[in-house]
Amino acid sequence: MTSPGDATPVKPPPSFSPGSGRNASKSRYPDEHEPTVSIDAELAEARSGSSPTPPLSATTAELPIRSASPQSRSVRSSTPQLGRSSLGSPLEGRFGGSEDIRSLIIRAFSPTVAVYASDDTDELVRNKGFKGGFWELIRPYGETVPGKVIIRDSIGSSRAWEDYGVRFVDFKGLGRAAAGRDPERGSRLAQIEEVLDQQLGSAEGSLGHPVPSKEVLGFPATTPLTKLFLRQLLSATPAAPHETFGHPVASVIAISSRNEAPLETLRQLYAESTTGDKRLPDWVNQEYLRYYVLVHDEERDDITESTKLYDQMKRHFGLHCHLLRLRSSQCVVTDDDSVQVPHCEWLSPQEHLSGVGEAETLVDLGADGTPYLFDSDVSAIQSFIRELIVQSVIPFMENRVAVWNDQVASRRRGISGRFMTISRRWAGFGSSSKSGIGGPGGGNSGNYDTEQHFYLPDTPEAILRKMADFAFMLRDWKLASSTYEMIRPDYQNDKAWKYHAGAHEMCVVSMLLNPLAMSSKIKLEDVDRMVENGCYSYLTRCEDATHALRCLALAVELLKSRGGSATESAAKWAMRVMDFGLVGSIGHILFMERVAACYASKTPAGGAKWGARRRKAGMWSILAAEQWLKAGHPTLASACFEEAEHLYADVLDADGVFPMPEIQTFVDNLRHAVKVEYLQARGFEAHAEPAAEDPLGTEEISEKLDKRNHRRSLIGLPGQLNAGNLMNVGARDPEDQPNDDFERA
Amino acid sequence: MSYYFTILSPTDTPIFNIAFGTSKGGGDGIARFRFPDTAQYMNQFIIHSSLDILEEAQWTNGGMYLKHIDTYPPAAAYISAFLTPSGARFLLLHQPPLVPNPASSSGLGSSSLLGSSGNTVRGSSSTIATNPTGPQTEEAVRQFMNEVYESYVKTAMSPFYKQGMEICSPVFRTRVTAAGKKWL
Repeated sequence: MTSPGDATPVKPPPSFSPGSGRNASKSRYPDEHEPTVSIDAELAEARSGSSPTPPLSATTAELPIRSASPQSRSVRSSTPQLGRSSLGSPLEGRFGGSEDIRSLIIRAFSPTVAVYASDDTDELVRNKGFKGGFWELIRPYGETVPGKVIIRDSIGSSRAWEDYGVRFVDFKGLGRAAAGRDPERGSRLAQIEEVLDQQLGSAEGSLGHPVPSKEVLGFPATTPLTKLFLRQLLSATPAAPHETFGHPVASVIAISSRNEAPLETLRQLYAESTTGDKRLPDWVNQEYLRYYVLVHDEERDDITESTKLYDQMKRHFGLHCHLLRLRSSQCVVTDDDSVQVPHCEWLSPQEHLSGVGEAETLVDLGADGTPYLFDSDVSAIQSFIRELIVQSVIPFMENRVAVWNDQVASRRRGISGRFMTISRRWAGFGSSSKSGIGGPGGGNSGNYDTEQHFYLPDTPEAILRKMADFAFMLRDWKLASSTYEMIRPDYQNDKAWKYHAGAHEMCVVSMLLNPLAMSSKIKLEDVDRMVENGCYSYLTRCEDATHALRCLALAVELLKSRGGSATESAAKWAMRVMDFGLVGSIGHILFMERVAACYASKTPAGGAKWGARRRKAGMWSILAAEQWLKAGHPTLASACFEEAEHLYADVLDADGVFPMPEIQTFVDNLRHAVKVEYLQARGFEAHAEPAAEDPLGTEEISEKLDKRNHRRSLIGLPGQLNAGNLMNVGARDPEDQPNDDFERA
Repeated sequence: MSYYFTILSPTDTPIFNIAFGTSKGGGDGIARFRFPDTAQYMNQFIIHSSLDILEEAQWTNGGMYLKHIDTYPPAAAYISAFLTPSGARFLLLHQPPLVPNPASSSGLGSSSLLGSSGNTVRGSSSTIATNPTGPQTEEAVRQFMNEVYESYVKTAMSPFYKQGMEICSPVFRTRVTAAGKKWL
């Protein structure tokens, strides 16, 4: 989905969109066009947290595009089988806030598509103002595919997804980023912290913005900062051998109509990407889809020529081709049909810090910072991406999963496979015992390269992992979790610890994401044990703090979204994150907020008064407020504080006074400090124009300050000593005793 | 081991507080909590927040002594609870001493439910002071609670005491201190 914070994302082109599907998806964010331009993008998201779920009636098929491809439009999507989509996610509505997070996590694991463009294509695109070439042009549009995407799972039922997307990566950068894979440990976490800090700085800088107002009643709202943190964390990990989410599922090979020898160039690009020195590292499976794109220059070249060439391409390379018609001149804001290019949602921390996404903060729009595109170009790109995904990438992935499931996984699941595994494990011999006999632990498969720490891509272990990842990206969580479950012991046997950790992590995630397993009781102990194993392997055996943190953070969020007693488990893991010291100071406070949110989302069981965790949530909120204040962010502190008051409202007496005097003193002091600093941070402007726009209810606060005096009015009630009536003993102890220090004795 | 003992009235108002340290194993009976002196409200905070659990546990546990009900992992504080018929609740917070220990790695492998804090050490797990959830500790706390309960009943029967009042009887305080010295 287009992040609502991205100021003005693709406006549905007025001339092209007669009731298209994209309109429907846009209506999710009704308050998108609020006139708060100075608010940072991320912070604006808070208010859309309660966005209504999109109507299911949004149709997929018709898109307002000028498609040059003569292929018949999406055969499958023209008959949308919405059979199972009513199952949508049973969580919707029940836990409004967590649905966001689930979607965020799901979208974080999107298929990766590498982009490899010829020099002339990059040249053409560079003229349009995109310095990074073709990849940079299409990247923001890949993150959301307009309309629905229908995916068939392993048992043949289909399901439509509104928020599908792919991640375009630069082919040239793909291997290299992975090669320089060992920067000093934790630096990536430090980068995340830095991004958060930057974000906070810019948020505080823009003065007088309304604080991320969390919903008051539907408490478990997620602060935009937490979302930013999660997003950063999830995009911080580059392609690695032990998980294939970063490996390309497909690669787009692009040439332009300016090319002199188009077919030869395509061949050459293919060869370079497969065998040449630009090829991907050994641990990447080379069997990915190739997709050929011809970029036609509308202004300089002849369309008949290009069509002819395109037909030729199809003859040579098969059906995975596309003719993309773009105008070659640069679009400026003053042009009639200019559309701002949306910002990438999934920028890695490095990119954030190097300022890729920072163009938005420039005041002079229309400067080189914010690129614009012609309306026609945008719709052409979108239709290209939709065709790429719906007609090529997803069928390819479905096909691979089916084949692997058939050839590799079912053999493992079958009786002989079990026998083989067992014999390998116990006897130390097996079908593939190249080195297994003398191996420690009695029989590893020998497929694991202990020198370089990876499996070659054609070994069953690697293929099963890839299949599970594909199933995960196709959102078939049932198959994914069962596959992860199946390969976990193999990795343990081989002492492939990173693989081991990754399989545990993803097993938990897919198990918790599976909406069908909601009703059937997942054993929380199993989940806990797997998280424990996963993060132990990451942290202690591999010293990979980033992945460990990712594992724990995902577990926290997903357990929290489960509700019930899982929330306590979530809170426990969140505390564990702080305990391990995986996060910096800001991250620490964020996790304190998460603990509070976890406890707050535990609702009382069946209308009973007990079972909630309001006091715990309130305590963590107060402590988080104190920490925010210490860190110098009074606005956030006051937000936390306000939240705590709402939480405590239920458990304290009507006058909101803590029964314990020391807490009361502390809270009073904190309240005062927060108020003072908050007003100072805003330059006392709140005094000048008092209650009009002050969103924090400081009036309410000041009223509460003198509430203490009222305590005395409660004294007089006579207490009953006859303890028969338990409910009736409302009398407080006399307060007029001079010394309050009885607890110090 | 440091202890913080509170009696809460049915309206959650504290009617008796005492902080003391262990007297076993050469302890001097002085409480040393992990919070700085300026943050002693944390004890009350933790006890107050554990009321959530207490309210749940009192319906699921048949006895008056509810044993260990709650943990606050960041400070390694453990809460045990005891119910009285009149609705007052005894809550005991116990916190093992902080011993810097470079040898033991973080508590990942150890029992996860208790959220063992990485920088605590359990030393020899046989004594009360070092194992806050062991059966010995549980038994010792039970003895302590029972003894305090007896004194509490006698205090509450005093004609000058009304229910819900703060207990300021010095005799009661001495008895609680003695029970603490004897059992904890």
